[in-house]
Amino acid sequence: MAATTDGTEEHTAAASRRPPARRRGMGRIATAVSVFGELLITAGLVLGLFVVYSLWWTNVIADREAAKQADKVRDIWAHQDDEDSGRPAEFDSKNGIGFLHVPTMSGDDILVEKGTTSKILNDGVAGYYTDPVKATLPTSGKKGNFSLAAHRDGHGAEFHNIHKVEKGDPIVFETKDKWYVYKVYGVLPETSKYNVKVLSAIPKESGKTKAGHYITLTTCTPVYTSRYRYIVWGELERVEKVDAERTPPQELR
Amino acid sequence: MYGWIWRHLPGNAWVRALISLALVVAVVYVLFNYVFPWAEPLLPFNDVTVDNQ
Repeated sequence: MAATTDGTEEHTAAASRRPPARRRGMGRIATAVSVFGELLITAGLVLGLFVVYSLWWTNVIADREAAKQADKVRDIWAHQDDEDSGRPAEFDSKNGIGFLHVPTMSGDDILVEKGTTSKILNDGVAGYYTDPVKATLPTSGKKGNFSLAAHRDGHGAEFHNIHKVEKGDPIVFETKDKWYVYKVYGVLPETSKYNVKVLSAIPKESGKTKAGHYITLTTCTPVYTSRYRYIVWGELERVEKVDAERTPPQELR
Repeated sequence: MYGWIWRHLPGNAWVRALISLALVVAVVYVLFNYVFPWAEPLLPFNDVTVDNQ
């Protein structure tokens, strides 16, 4: 009896001792697998957060910064009127040089600054090219191409709805004392990002062969990517003087 | 990994939940302010200009 009891005791002890040992061995693999799985889940969450960051948070930051800089420019313009100093604001390249209005694309006025580096464009503004082809500013009065770039998505996404701009639509550039009214005559929905010819003084791809006062908007396309560039060309129709109430030209009313 | 962190947090379940939340917020803050702004120019999503490069 005793022996049997001992035997069963040994058996149960052995049986209860063995499974934990096996569980520990399985446990190491299970832990490795679960850590790996958790890392994958984490990577997925981080990528998701990056999308949130690109498409939402950069807009919040950029809109705030653009509004601040636009207010500053408007302040300077108003201030110069008070002082009646002869120096026009558009020659201060550190601040914005003016505002772009494209009613078919966006209801906002887009501040235009010098340069197209991401540091400038990330503030939710449009930049005029200084490189590789220098833009000709409309304020200079010279014939040439006023070439601009802005973000399609994120960072203010100022040119997000560029695909809504069609031939005949107005593009108005506002400076302290002039409205430059352009009319869109050409759209290139897709071109290589190396196609710097679109910025030429006479953009031949748009069908123009003579020098004139042109404006070029560039941004990336298709939407949410940067594979190609989207180009919109316009030509100066007329220049209006800004009156005391800053009454916008009829295109913006 | 997350289980390990949870087990090493002090306090009862509520305190642990609050600390976890604070940790999540801290991680998101670091990502949005430092990691993503650094990573963004390296990724091909936001180039809008035409150039020779």
